[in-house]
Amino acid sequence: MPIVIFQLPDGTERKVTAESGTALMQAAVSNGVDGIVAECGGNASCATCHVYVDEQHTALVGPPNGVEEEMLDFTAAERRATSRLSCQVRLSDALDGLVVHVPEEQV
Amino acid sequence: MSTPTTAAPGAPVVDFDLAQLRRDPYPAYAELRRTAPLAWVPSVGRHLLTRYGDIVHAEKLPEVFSSREQGSLLLRTVGPNLLREDGAEHRLLRAGAEPPTRPRQVRDLWADAFEKNAHDLLERIAGRGEADLVADFAEPLAAANLALVLGLRNATADDIAEWSRAMMAANGNYADDPDVWLRAERATDAIEEAVAEIAGAVRREPDGSVISSMVHADMALSAIQNNVKVVIGGGVNEPRDVFGVGAQALLNRPDVRDRVLADPSLWKRVFEETARWVSPIGMYPRQLVQDHEIAGVALPAGSRVALVIASGNRDESVFERADEFDIDRPHRPHLAFGGGPHFCMGAWVARHEVSGLAWPLVFSRLKGLRLDDGTEDHMEGWVFRGLTSLHVTWQAA
Ligand code: HEM
Ligand code: FES
Repeated sequence: MPIVIFQLPDGTERKVTAESGTALMQAAVSNGVDGIVAECGGNASCATCHVYVDEQHTALVGPPNGVEEEMLDFTAAERRATSRLSCQVRLSDALDGLVVHVPEEQV
Repeated sequence: MSTPTTAAPGAPVVDFDLAQLRRDPYPAYAELRRTAPLAWVPSVGRHLLTRYGDIVHAEKLPEVFSSREQGSLLLRTVGPNLLREDGAEHRLLRAGAEPPTRPRQVRDLWADAFEKNAHDLLERIAGRGEADLVADFAEPLAAANLALVLGLRNATADDIAEWSRAMMAANGNYADDPDVWLRAERATDAIEEAVAEIAGAVRREPDGSVISSMVHADMALSAIQNNVKVVIGGGVNEPRDVFGVGAQALLNRPDVRDRVLADPSLWKRVFEETARWVSPIGMYPRQLVQDHEIAGVALPAGSRVALVIASGNRDESVFERADEFDIDRPHRPHLAFGGGPHFCMGAWVARHEVSGLAWPLVFSRLKGLRLDDGTEDHMEGWVFRGLTSLHVTWQAA
């Protein structure tokens, strides 16, 4: 049961416990983390579940997949090297302690 | 599964005059949000769900709120299609159809041709000095762009617009008017024929269009035909209505217009705020496949619910002064494109054709553009809502 820490734009953080195998987006939505909108419910079609993975974890989380890669060009907040769509990141025990930053805006 | 066509036990019953709802649904919605956020409305035959939070909850639970509505008029008109499927079946149909509508494809494949379509239509009216921008520009533009994205090079913009109107009328044909069914049947027959012809051609030579994408995803011809019908039914009015309502809002507010013209990055805000404010699709149906409690009512499996996104988009607990058009309001996600697996497949197409091209072009090309004082344009509709016309004048040069 990995723990994920969401750093919010207002400087606060939310720590949530998630099931291994679920999407990072799902962990945020099920726990009511503000700022992860996820309009399309995880189908990589809306670009409103954008997060910045903390530098210390980017290698572990890995790069975006093909469909996600092109969608990231259309996020509301600027795209950075650490950008991922949280619906395309699958959680596992290896990602326990993952820190991600929620951008200022999603639409 | 039984299909209750009455109120769930414990659900408040509220009825409305549908003609009044068509003129202006917002006072009724405000009252529902306050007093009966889930209410059975006999004249609609569904429970209306009107608060933002409850709608989002339902959108995120497709395994409870099914899109396979029994007795759906859309199914009767169009046949089985992605909009009325759930789960794995839906995912397959959507995966085949969606790629050409993704934002990078819009930019790389369609943007130039969209721009040419907009230019051509504008040149046809530029010399006149007056027009109805809904009928003379926005509708034919949306139809021409749709023909392109679908790959229907054997259909004209007029064909697409007529097919769309005919099917929309049938989807609302609760009065069972035989002429309405007949007109829709002519439209769907014509679409099937046009799609069959193109499907054969793109099988040999893929062209990046939605039909081509579905053919190469090995979808059955009937599935391709039905999905094309849904796209035509749902891809003309909505961009047309956002265009018209947003253009009118800016013409009513020259201060906002001038700011947007000075900073074109604001067109995006105009788009999202207009989509929120008018909600071209005001509500859509779902049917419960298991018992579920929502808005304080225990709904049994089989219950019919309408997610009234037009009401969620005016929910004052989420949007301050929600009835005002305000491009500077804090960014909160609106519900106009729906949510969950059926999130609008054309969102990126609509955003680009309206806010990336049509508005900037019209406002820069037509000098001295203003509303025509002599005519009365009004909004209409609650299932679908928009301006029925937008009469404007400008200095023809
Ligand atoms: C501003 C313009 C538009 C608005 C507000 C809009 C709104 C919506 C909404 C609310 C839904 C969800 C309906 C439901 O869940 O039952 C939807 C679905 C859909 N829209 Fe749009 N739409 C727009 C433009 C377009 C365009 C231009 C196209 C075609 C290119 C299109 C194609 C579709 C399709 C195919 C679906 C079904 C998706 C699915 O079932 O997976 N829409 N739209
Ligand atoms: S939830 Fe829509 S792209 Fe991730």
